[in-house]
Amino acid sequence: MAAPAGVVLLALALAAVFYAPRQVRADGAPTASLRSAALVDATLPNNAAALAEGRTLFDENCSSCHGTQAQGSALAPNLRGLGSATVDLWVSSGWMPLANPGVQPARKPSHFTPSQTVAIARYVGSLAPGGLAIPTVDLKGSNPAEGFSVFALNCAPCHTITGAGDALSGGIAAPPLHGVTGTQIEEAIRTGPGNMPRFSTFTVSKAQLADVVDYVTHYIEHPDSPGGGLTLGGVGPVAEGFVGLFAGVGGCVLIALWIGDRDERDGDEGGSGPSHPGHDDGPGTESPEREVAHA
Amino acid sequence: MIDSLFSWIDDRVALSRSGRHLLDKIFPDHWSFMIGEIALYSFIVLLLTGVFLTLYFVPSSTPVVYHGIYAPLRGQTVSEAYDSTINLSFAVRGGLLMRQMHHWAANIFVGAIVVHMLRVFFTGGFRRPREANWMLGTTLLILAIFNGFLGYSLPDDLISGTGIRIAFSIMESIPFVGTYLAYFLFGGSFPGTAIIPRFFILHVLVLPLLIIGLLAGHLGMLVKHKHAQFPGKGARDDNVVGSPLWPTYAAKAGGFFFLTTGVTALLGAIVQINPIWQYGQYYAYKVSYAVQPDWYMGWLDGALRVMPAWEINLPGHMIPNVFFPAVLLPGLTFNLIYAWPFIEAKLSGDTAEHHLLDRPRDKPLRTALGAAVFAFYFVLFGASATDVLANYLSITLNVVLWSFRILCIVVPIVVFPVAYKICVELRDTPGAGQRKRHNIIVRSADGGYSTIAADEYPGYVRPELEPVALDEVDLVAAMSADADQGPEGVYRIPRDYS
Repeated sequence: MAAPAGVVLLALALAAVFYAPRQVRADGAPTASLRSAALVDATLPNNAAALAEGRTLFDENCSSCHGTQAQGSALAPNLRGLGSATVDLWVSSGWMPLANPGVQPARKPSHFTPSQTVAIARYVGSLAPGGLAIPTVDLKGSNPAEGFSVFALNCAPCHTITGAGDALSGGIAAPPLHGVTGTQIEEAIRTGPGNMPRFSTFTVSKAQLADVVDYVTHYIEHPDSPGGGLTLGGVGPVAEGFVGLFAGVGGCVLIALWIGDRDERDGDEGGSGPSHPGHDDGPGTESPEREVAHA
Repeated sequence: MIDSLFSWIDDRVALSRSGRHLLDKIFPDHWSFMIGEIALYSFIVLLLTGVFLTLYFVPSSTPVVYHGIYAPLRGQTVSEAYDSTINLSFAVRGGLLMRQMHHWAANIFVGAIVVHMLRVFFTGGFRRPREANWMLGTTLLILAIFNGFLGYSLPDDLISGTGIRIAFSIMESIPFVGTYLAYFLFGGSFPGTAIIPRFFILHVLVLPLLIIGLLAGHLGMLVKHKHAQFPGKGARDDNVVGSPLWPTYAAKAGGFFFLTTGVTALLGAIVQINPIWQYGQYYAYKVSYAVQPDWYMGWLDGALRVMPAWEINLPGHMIPNVFFPAVLLPGLTFNLIYAWPFIEAKLSGDTAEHHLLDRPRDKPLRTALGAAVFAFYFVLFGASATDVLANYLSITLNVVLWSFRILCIVVPIVVFPVAYKICVELRDTPGAGQRKRHNIIVRSADGGYSTIAADEYPGYVRPELEPVALDEVDLVAAMSADADQGPEGVYRIPRDYS
């Protein structure tokens, strides 16, 4: 009995942890860490020393494929005139440097520190005019409700409505939006990396973009999202079905195993034992109502 | 005083006779006979939590502006159904727990029905005289699936709205009458405003009433036929070996109810299900990638996904592609399930009454066939997650889709002979599945060897509970003599006793 009681206690403790009332932030105010992450580039120095650092890092890490002047090669595209926002997105998300040019890059921990990333991006941006500079996302006065609406209309068709990301046809995938920064969101929306379309200010206005950033960074990430427990990766009914069948039905069947048998655990239901003579009243007596109980 | 009150009541409602009979009812002991109870208890949880939800849910498509606690929805125009579901989740104390318990209980309900049905199938529990109860159970499964679909459609969120849209198209695909049917059910074209209130009344009144009625019939027939049992321990076709309803099964079943409820409550408390605040209100112009139905509709969704783009063009009428996987397949499936007891009786020529169950291995052909058919639906079920699998395994979606097209043909073909062979081997191997015993080899003084079977493990004494026949007492006579002081034993009720 000790073990089941322990399991029940453990389960109750787990329930207490997961179902601890979470504070719903009625105003949806961004947390300090996310805001600083979104604004990291604006506080970094933009001077000759930073440009020189960016040039060194570019020469060391990027030029072997993209060329010493970022003019591109047979292996990699021309980066001149793309603007620093594109470079910042690709490097900060860990897509670059790329191990295998043939496949869609996956997000991984960035090879560079945030200040190094910005230095590279600004250096590449300084090589030729044009493109978008690293944007500064201002969430002052943003409206997550409008952001949710714009997100559902423009982003959810690929990234899914929970932002979990998913495989699209032809081997490409929409990456998950968990753990992205506001700057990366704006850069991706405005520059359209890879297979993602580019959304101009005619489609998603500057205010709407701030709204989307607000929604994604605060409600896709879940810190302020009301709970309900484990989110199962946000993939919806597939994960729910597995939990329902294996934990739910499976758990109940295990309980049935626990309480259902008297002594059947040795697979003895097969009828190897001889029947007890004490209750044998012979096949001749027609007594379908006769029932025999264990003593 | 209390005794006289009881006898006053009993004189008028006359429960003690039939009640005594019911309490002494013997049920065979086997864990697998309790799976159906999981369905029963999760249905009770569904009723209890469902009543709570109806106190707050507003079944209406009327647009309102959300002014609740969840910031990303504030100011958005949503339907009253969606608005009230969000409010009952966030603003009603315990509401989200109740909603999540309700949803998990639904998943467990249908799942337990399917597992219960598999148990009955593989042990031959559907044979005469239980064919009608098998068909009744199949009807319950269909109703449970339908009611689950209606239930998760009610919040009017983006995911379920997409599901309703698919259901509309499936109805439209039925040849000749489809469009009329769909427009009749939806009260016009999709989405309209009639569907939420209509689904609501079906979900909370019509289908639950049907389920309760059929469930009563299901259990009534169980009592009438008595529970089938596995052979052994003196069990025969004309008796029931087991434990009485009172006190053994009353305690077991009561405890099991609370444990099932506990599992549901735990899931509802710690695992999120259907977070509709993330999905948002359904609008026909909004769509999310990666939308699947709840698991019990998964095999239909999977069939829709793997079906090649074939359609039949008759002169003047086209039978659309959707018809084959979404109408023809479930139609064939359930009709096959309904007819299976009769098909098997026809094939095997066995039309005798059976109260002893088969072990699956003893009927290799039935077991292999069942396993193969089940494998087919399991593959279809997996196919409803093509995109999720492609994403998690980093494979092309197209490769996953083609894999499932091939798998749903290949897997049953492989499963059938493998299951058949396993059954035959198990059947022909003495002691298969039982714990092996050590043999201690002893050498005697004159050099001979002999073996002694050892305990299964040291100090293990297997409790043998052989059935013991109890004295039979004629119920009517015992009652008339002295009901309270009657001798212990099984009360025997003559067949013509009413």
